[in-house]
Amino acid sequence: MERSSFKNNKNFNRVSDIIESLTINPSSDSIAVLEEIGTNSSIDEVRELTSRALVKRNEYDSLNVVISSRGKGINDMSTFVAMSTINELLSLENKEEAMRVLENTISSEGFDEEVKENARSVKALMALS
Amino acid sequence: MSTIERITQLSHRIFNTSVTEKSVARHSNPFAGSNFQKNILSELNKDVFVSSLAKDKVSLNDKLTASSKRIYSTFVGSISDFGSRLIDGIESIKAFGSRMKEGLVTTWNKIQEIGNTEVSLEGTKEFLSRDIKSFMINGRQREITKMSKMDPHTEVKPMLMDALSSLEADMVHAA
Repeated sequence: MERSSFKNNKNFNRVSDIIESLTINPSSDSIAVLEEIGTNSSIDEVRELTSRALVKRNEYDSLNVVISSRGKGINDMSTFVAMSTINELLSLENKEEAMRVLENTISSEGFDEEVKENARSVKALMALS
Repeated sequence: MSTIERITQLSHRIFNTSVTEKSVARHSNPFAGSNFQKNILSELNKDVFVSSLAKDKVSLNDKLTASSKRIYSTFVGSISDFGSRLIDGIESIKAFGSRMKEGLVTTWNKIQEIGNTEVSLEGTKEFLSRDIKSFMINGRQREITKMSKMDPHTEVKPMLMDALSSLEADMVHAA
């Protein structure tokens, strides 16, 4: 299925609505659901929606998923998903929490060098924006 | 009357035809001496075919019965009536034409009105489509708000998994 045809798909719109509801859901359990179901989806568009939803929540735990997790968010294998996540991070009005997560990821010993490198690049972009 | 006298009379009638011919001679003009709407045309006394007996037959015109004149008059009257009926017919055709023309003009005006109405309907259509869209958006937003108040693990997660399964099935079909 082409990317443009997703907009007309009823089930995709349903998935989009559910992810959006989890974005505004005040419960922190929403982050776990998004991480467990959304970021592990085989569909790029669903992973992209989930990553952006986690960034929009602008919480430490949600940002930690898209910045520090291998193969998710800015570290996704899909360039489309990674770039969309970075764009969403750059669009944040309050970048304070995102910068804190990025600094922790860069300075922590527990993450892969690839993840750290991506975090450094994004931090540089956010500093410039 | 004896038989001989009867035979004599009969032979006289058979062989002496001059009297009979005079009496049975007729005008070729059927309207001769007729009254045409009370206008007696004197020239009609003359036969249309010139005959040597023309002057002798003048007296025969006086013998035209009243009923014959009435018949001729009726005939001429019928011609006159036919003319008036024809005129009436023409008048009715003219009236029909006028009605058709009026009808066409009215129809044209109606078409124009409908055309103008359609233009105004465009606005209504836009208004309705905008209203339906806003209704749909509002409906979608209401649904999202409603789901955002649900428990993520017990309520939202199953819905998300179902929707994803359906989407994946759609993708398999599309492929």
